[in-house]
Amino acid sequence: MNRWLIALLALFAGPALALDLVATSPSMGALVRAVAPSAALTVLAGPDQDLHMLQAKPSMIRALRGADLVVAIGAELEVGWLPAATSSAANPAIQPGREGYFEAAAQVPLLDVGGTADRAQGDVHPAGNPHVDLDPMRMAQVAEALGERMARLDSANAAQYRRNAARFAEAVDSRMPGWQAQLADAPGVVLYHRDAIYLLERFGVPLLGTIEPVPGVPPSGRDLRNLAGKLAGHDGIIIHAPYQSPKGARKLGRELGWSVRMLPLEPPVSANGDGYLRHIDRWVSTIASAG
Amino acid sequence: MNSPLVRGAPLAALLTPITALAAGDADIDTLRAELDAMRSQYESRIQALESRLSDAENAAEIARQAAGADALSLPMTAPRVLRAEGQSAPSGDRSGGRGGGLFGAVTSGSAFNPQISVILDGNYYQDDAEAGDGAALVGEAFWPGRSLAHEHGEEGDGHDHGDGGHVHNVAEPGFNFREAEISFTATVDPYFDAATYISIDGDGNVELEEAYFETRSLPYGLKVKGGKFLSGFGYVNDQHPHQWDFVDQNLPYLNLLGFHGLQDTGLQLTWVPDDLPFYALIGGEALQGNQEIFGATVNEAEQVALNLGQTQDGPRLFTAFAKVAPDLGRKHALQFGVSYAHADQQQQVRTHTHAVAHEHEEDHEHEDEHGHEHEEDHAHEEDHGHDHAHDEGQAHDEEHEHADHDHMHAQGDGITEELHETGLAGNADLWGLDLVYKYDAPKAYGQGDIVFQTEYLRSISDMKIRSSAHPEQIGTSRKYTTDGLYAQATYGFLPRWKAGLRYDVLGLTNKVSGGGRSEGFGSSDRWTLDVTWSLSEFSQLRAQYAYNDILVTENEREQFNAFYMQFLVSLGSHGAHKF
Repeated sequence: MNRWLIALLALFAGPALALDLVATSPSMGALVRAVAPSAALTVLAGPDQDLHMLQAKPSMIRALRGADLVVAIGAELEVGWLPAATSSAANPAIQPGREGYFEAAAQVPLLDVGGTADRAQGDVHPAGNPHVDLDPMRMAQVAEALGERMARLDSANAAQYRRNAARFAEAVDSRMPGWQAQLADAPGVVLYHRDAIYLLERFGVPLLGTIEPVPGVPPSGRDLRNLAGKLAGHDGIIIHAPYQSPKGARKLGRELGWSVRMLPLEPPVSANGDGYLRHIDRWVSTIASAG
Repeated sequence: MNSPLVRGAPLAALLTPITALAAGDADIDTLRAELDAMRSQYESRIQALESRLSDAENAAEIARQAAGADALSLPMTAPRVLRAEGQSAPSGDRSGGRGGGLFGAVTSGSAFNPQISVILDGNYYQDDAEAGDGAALVGEAFWPGRSLAHEHGEEGDGHDHGDGGHVHNVAEPGFNFREAEISFTATVDPYFDAATYISIDGDGNVELEEAYFETRSLPYGLKVKGGKFLSGFGYVNDQHPHQWDFVDQNLPYLNLLGFHGLQDTGLQLTWVPDDLPFYALIGGEALQGNQEIFGATVNEAEQVALNLGQTQDGPRLFTAFAKVAPDLGRKHALQFGVSYAHADQQQQVRTHTHAVAHEHEEDHEHEDEHGHEHEEDHAHEEDHGHDHAHDEGQAHDEEHEHADHDHMHAQGDGITEELHETGLAGNADLWGLDLVYKYDAPKAYGQGDIVFQTEYLRSISDMKIRSSAHPEQIGTSRKYTTDGLYAQATYGFLPRWKAGLRYDVLGLTNKVSGGGRSEGFGSSDRWTLDVTWSLSEFSQLRAQYAYNDILVTENEREQFNAFYMQFLVSLGSHGAHKF
């Protein structure tokens, strides 16, 4: 009986009670849960999916249709599908430029900004590298901006959103010294794609190279040999995402005698703020395990 | 103002630490507190100054972009992200002041210019059809309701119907440049998005494929699209050729709707309902009706000559469609659709020839006798050199009498070949069913991805004979029904490599009712296999082989192999495709 009552209440008072939120990725979902633990949330992509290669799907459009706020990583990471899906959803509230559209990348300074807009350099994005979600400090900033945004959209719970965002930022702050200590002597990392550079830059870990010669182009044998030649005698670890081909990484790992690890860029779909911090723990300990 | 007191103040300040030395712990604490207060005051002031500085920078940047300075000197430079590193949460007044930057998307599309992309689409083609015209034959399969009655406005007579060379985008053996598709898309203002797609073929013919606006702020999940656009009918209809999984269009679409599918000018309304446990879309369109095949009208001269009446005022073509998709999680997507289109007006000219004896007086008497031989005689005629011969070899109406506009061709042996034209007018209906399933595998570059797609089309033309060489036929009705389907699947067998298989068939059903015959029809079908290699997100190479079995005309089939090598490259901004 009680359940029915709640369901009825939710039906009539639903929009007024809380926000209906859509996050494009699990990291954005984790941030939403950190700021608004009780909000209705749909996460569009899983950690084993490449956010840049995804396609618009009817289920995404359905989720976006009634959303009050869509939280994206942004900076063209979701460019292949999110604009199509938001446009098809016919929901004016979440169109870019409106309050209901939130891009993490628009809230923080970006790396790799500028550069030549020349696709001979691969799938380059002169607006900046979009993968901001692996830097916990930037994510703390994003959380506070997200808290502000939710406060605007749902002023009744404004104080709660701000408090939660601040709490997340504090949690990040308190973890930072530990992470810094762990990574102080990390020799460096080879990535498949420049997708973890925000984390490396934050902790001063050298990026020793990328498996792909330029973004979005798979390596040839010669590319791998060149990279191996460059890194011979050096210490490090090779990390690639689940949807990136492990072949090149393994070959390079064999030649250099380095370990190769597959780590998702994104936390599990169900992660909240703590889940996100554990995800960073995992990355930090993996990078620290090299050498 | 040079009073001793003023001069004394700095001195006192300098001496403060000295006096503090002599002071007690309590004093030290007080001083510390004061110092802290001063520090925090300074910090907040510095912060305020910093934020003013960054505001000023923002303003300058915006002004510069508005003045076009960036566009002139650095066309592709991204708008800078102007947040200072040290800045904490954006304070209330910042976010309240300027909406655009904070709520917008970080993009490398340059300020105020539409997003531009160019797609180049070319191929190498070979077939072993008798005349090397296999690519044209697949679009000219024989089916009861077929009419090639074009209405291309003023240039209606300028077309050369002889060799198929005029037919849009038909590959010739050898190298072909199918099109350069140039697209511009942008948000117009808070109310509209707009897009323009222009296609330029290898001969330099420019064609406006789409140019439309779309609302972006209607409530209740409603959306209005207006202009020239590809109809939302079916599934593959609103895809541009470069989005197809195969080089060429499937047989039912190609033959029942034409190369462009339902592409027309008008208005579209769609509705995406909220709060359903599944995705649903309902839409409808009112379109002008300027079509190549479905709902096509003939040119004015023929309308007059054959008593078909003028082309009605538009809109003459109406569509309705619905899509439903259950939620199958993040990796699977399934969509089912049903579509209907009605053309208020359709006109056709059908021609056939028959051989008659020389003496005109005998014609009427021999009507029944030569009825049988004419079945053979009105077979496919390639070169009768007649302007109106849109529909050679297809008339199945038994008309044997002269009409004023009949034409005579002298043949040897005292036999004259007559060309009879029959004018038909009426309306047409089209039904479509579509189903699409996609699986997004968690592997690199499309490896393991599966797409299955199938559609069924059924076209029904309901017409009356308006003019004929045989007066008794006038006013009788003819109803032509033809259907077709395609089913295709692609599979990513390696990263960046995709294989596709397609079966398409036209004419599973062929019906002619109202006095005509329906024997002699059959189906045309084709098996197609292709492999697509996406070198990067922006370039694709494709090899395609097809075995075609096309009904060219009554009881006459042509079986041939066709081979394509296609390249597709995309310049400019990233495209985003709908499901």
